[in-house]
Amino acid sequence: MTGSSSRSVALVTGAAQGLGYATALRLAADGFAVAVNDISDDGRLAALASKIGGLAVPGDIAEQFSGVDVLVANAAAMDMGSFLTQDPRTWWRQVEVNLSGHFRLIQAVVPHMRAAGGGRIVLIASGWGVIGHPNATAYAASKAGLIALAKGLGRELAPQGILANAIAPSYIDTEQLGVDAADAGITLDEMRQRYRELIPTGQLATVEDIAAAVAFLAGPGGSAFVGQVLQPGGGVTRARA
Amino acid sequence: MSVGAEQVVVITGAASGIGAATAALFGRQGWRTAGLDLRPSATDLSLSCDVTDAAAVRSAIDAVARQFGGIDAAVTAAGYYEEGIDVCDITRTQWDSMLQVILGGTVNTCAAVLPHMLARQSGTVIAISSELALGGSATDLHYVAAKGAVLGLVKSLAAELAATPIRLNVVAPGPTDTPLLAPDSLWRKPDYLATLPLGRLVRPDEIAATVYYLATEGVMYCGEVLSPNAGAVI
Repeated sequence: MTGSSSRSVALVTGAAQGLGYATALRLAADGFAVAVNDISDDGRLAALASKIGGLAVPGDIAEQFSGVDVLVANAAAMDMGSFLTQDPRTWWRQVEVNLSGHFRLIQAVVPHMRAAGGGRIVLIASGWGVIGHPNATAYAASKAGLIALAKGLGRELAPQGILANAIAPSYIDTEQLGVDAADAGITLDEMRQRYRELIPTGQLATVEDIAAAVAFLAGPGGSAFVGQVLQPGGGVTRARA
Repeated sequence: MSVGAEQVVVITGAASGIGAATAALFGRQGWRTAGLDLRPSATDLSLSCDVTDAAAVRSAIDAVARQFGGIDAAVTAAGYYEEGIDVCDITRTQWDSMLQVILGGTVNTCAAVLPHMLARQSGTVIAISSELALGGSATDLHYVAAKGAVLGLVKSLAAELAATPIRLNVVAPGPTDTPLLAPDSLWRKPDYLATLPLGRLVRPDEIAATVYYLATEGVMYCGEVLSPNAGAVI
C-alpha cells in the first residue's frame, strides 16, 4: 500500500453499473482514491467518478494503467446457451472478457504493487465457477479459471506482499435481473422470486453485500487472506467438493 | 442482523488468544461483550464456565441474555491444542477430551444460544475451526478431527436454519500467534514459516477482523468457511 500521506488507489472494472458501481462507492467511502473503468462510455462512468471524487478511465485499459494499490477485476460477460449448439465465437468471447482480459490487467498492475511493497487483487468470479450450471459452460469455465488464477496468483505474489483472492457470489439483485426477466417473459418481481427459490436463505444478495466483501479483502481486515474464494451466496454453493 | 447501539456478543474461550482478540475488537467497536472461559476474560461480563458442561453453558448464556437483553452474536473459540503425538499413541482420554471441548463446547453453545436468537429472529454464530481441518495435518489427529467435526456441525446447522434470519459460519484460522502454540511448537519453526506464502504466522487480530466482518456484514454467508491462513490452505 502507498504511504499514509496519500490515499491508496483502487481500480474497479465494470464500474458503470451493478456490482462494480456499488464497489466503487464502498471503496471510496472506505477512503480509497478510486479509478472506475468500463468498456462502455455513455456518461455513467463520468457521473460515478464525479460522485466519488474519483477518476474515470473508460475503454480497454489493460495496456495503459498502473499505479494501483487495489485491483477489483469485475468486468464480465455472460451469454447462456447449450454447449453443443452455441456459436464458438460467443463461447470464447466470454473466456476472453472474463478471464483473459483480467489476466492482462493484472500484468499491468503488478509491477507497481511490487515496487510499492504490496497490494490487493480481488477477482470477481461466480458461484457457477465453483459448481457449474447448465447452458453456461463458457461462463462457468471462465469463472472457474478466474478462481484458479486467484489461487495461483495468491501463492506466487503473497511473498511480495500482494494478496490475491476471489469472490464467488451467486444471485445478486442488479439491473441484470431485468434482462433475465425480459428474456423469460416475466416481471422483474417474478424473476426475483424465481431466483429466491434457488437460494437456501431465500435472499438475493444486494450489490452492497458484495461490495462489502470486496472492501473486507481490500482493507486491513483482509491481511491474512491468500488465494481464498469468498462465497456470499446465501448457501447456493455450500454443498460442494 | 440489527445494526444499532449496544449489540451483544458472547465469546467462549474469551480469556486468551483468538477469543480475547475477538472480544477486544468487538468491544472497541461498541459491542457489549460477554466471555465464557475457565479463566477470567477482559469482557463486560466475564463468566467462569466449562464449555463441556451443557447445563453450565445454558446457565451462563441465559445469564448473558438476561443481563444484556439478548444476544446478537456468538463466537465459539474455546479450545486447546496438543501436537507431536503419533496416531497410535493418542489415548482414549486425549481423544475424548479434545472432542468434548472443541466439538462439545460448540454444540453446547449453539444449543444454548440458538433458542434466544430464534426467539428474536435475529443472530449469528461463528465457530472457530482450523485450516488443519481443511487440509489435514500430522501428529495432532485428535485436534484435527475435532476441528473438522465443527465444520460438519456448523454447515448442517446452517442448512437447518437457512430459512430463518440466523446465520452460522466458520472461521478456519491458519497457524496463529497465540499461547496455544508453545515456544517450541513446530508451527513456529522458521523452516515451516518459510513454506507459507505470507511467510509468517497469522495474528489474532486478523482472525478477530474476519469474525467481525461475518458478524456485521456477512448476512449472505450461510454455512461458509472463511480461512485467513497466510496461504497455508488454498
